[in-house]
Amino acid sequence: MIKIPRMRKRSNKNMARRRVEHQSAKRSQVPVPEQAHPRLPGGFNLPPFGIHQVLAVVIVCIALWAVGVLWLGMQTASQWVGSWQQDIHIHVYLDAKKSKADNGKAVTQLQKALQDIAQISSVRRVSAAEAAVWMQGWLHDAALNEQELAKRLPLTFELSLTDKQSPFLFDDIRDVARRFGASVNEDEVNLARAHYWLSEASWLAWFASMVLALAMALIISNTLRMTLLARADEIHLMRLLGAKEWFVRMPFILEGLALGAAAGIAAWLLLWPIIWGSSAWLATMQVNLSLWILLPALLFGGGLVGTLGAVIATARVVSPETAA
Amino acid sequence: MATVCIMQHEKPLIHMQQLMLRYPTGKTALSGITLEIQQGQFVYMIGESGAGKSSLLRMFYGGVRPSSGSLVVQNLDMRLANDAKIRDIRQRTGIIFQDHRLLFPRTVFENVALPLRVQGWQTERLIPRVRKVLTYVGLADRLWSYPEALSGGEQQRVAIARAMTANPPLILADEPTGNLDVDTARRVLDYLMDLNRNGTTVIMATHDLHLLESHPGRVVQLHGGILAGDGG
Repeated sequence: MIKIPRMRKRSNKNMARRRVEHQSAKRSQVPVPEQAHPRLPGGFNLPPFGIHQVLAVVIVCIALWAVGVLWLGMQTASQWVGSWQQDIHIHVYLDAKKSKADNGKAVTQLQKALQDIAQISSVRRVSAAEAAVWMQGWLHDAALNEQELAKRLPLTFELSLTDKQSPFLFDDIRDVARRFGASVNEDEVNLARAHYWLSEASWLAWFASMVLALAMALIISNTLRMTLLARADEIHLMRLLGAKEWFVRMPFILEGLALGAAAGIAAWLLLWPIIWGSSAWLATMQVNLSLWILLPALLFGGGLVGTLGAVIATARVVSPETAA
Repeated sequence: MATVCIMQHEKPLIHMQQLMLRYPTGKTALSGITLEIQQGQFVYMIGESGAGKSSLLRMFYGGVRPSSGSLVVQNLDMRLANDAKIRDIRQRTGIIFQDHRLLFPRTVFENVALPLRVQGWQTERLIPRVRKVLTYVGLADRLWSYPEALSGGEQQRVAIARAMTANPPLILADEPTGNLDVDTARRVLDYLMDLNRNGTTVIMATHDLHLLESHPGRVVQLHGGILAGDGG
């Protein structure tokens, strides 16, 4: 049965209350200024930024800057190696005494065996005189007797290579040389294999980038976790009012995205002084670095890391009255 | 009499049968509650501390689920309802807490607008609605104030405004006058009574028995988790 509330007698207290209400009503007639953009929680609205967020941007910016420097270094090394690698030739040396055995038959066989290796485009026999001139130059014109020098120098073959990254090329050259008692210039082999070392370094750079990305995600996650704890009441209340989970979590995801992207842009800007400071040195190495390639990488990478951190932070936000 | 007969044939807003709630700690908060609450009633829930008033109110908005028995709120079986349905029920229920749970870093407007925001209202639509509701509770001039600048009574009025802003058919009030002086408590209750006169069902847990004299309604008494009396 529904009980309808009965009318009450007006007491003195009620009269006083009505006077207060009347005053309040009069006060409410005073125009209240409009606020153009009220700051509403939830959904696609970003939460306010505070000191924690600024610190997180600074820390993540430093980490992203380190990643940027790492990849700039890789870019430099790649261009530098590319600038001289086309000119690399491998030299194989055969002792002068061995070259004269069997009326020089070993020399011909060695040259033929080297030419049979698929990745060698040409084998040139360097004359003794040419070797002596080169040696004089290398010794800064030491004024040695060229004829005497030519007699002592080994017989030299200069190999031009088609594919320096072929996996067993240098082992094949060594095998052939060893068979005829010759030796290979290992310093030149190491230089020719720079691409291999660069690709190894590239894996390390990726690994370091991933470790730093994880660290950055955890830093952002920690920052957002603090924000979440500070705003736990708001989250619980939104859930009590029937908010969907995406509505509750989206501001934090957006915050993570914004923090990461802002740190990425800041890190990219901080890479410019490195380019400007080392421009003269890079020019001597025929290296021309492009920072614009790194902008989308740092921007989207930062955003991705920030989003990942936010997802980690919001993965487990339990409200007492929503764990039904 | 005719009106009463029609009301009796209507489906109740809340229906519970042999309702029981046992917390994971093993404590039985409610036991064997059988009760019906019709649309448009003003129900006081009274009883000593720990009688189960707050637990029962929490069950009405899905804060806790019944351990056994049945509870149907606004045509939704609360034992079987999934999370989406519970969210739906919460959007159709206004809740007023004893500690009012206002967000102190946010303005009165933002606090009152929160239920509408949760329901996807755009800012342009929100502002006139919030203004209207705050005008109703006499706080139109405090739209951009922060709750800490308001008195206890004003804060509770903001909480009432927040509960009624989405125009829900059911308002649950958990001791809304607990921290207020007698006069302020009466004013708060005036607003709830007025809402009830406009068709909203109000269920209010309270210790303030003196309010029942000035603001009569159906009285449901709980004692030690069981139904000790029903004045309905």
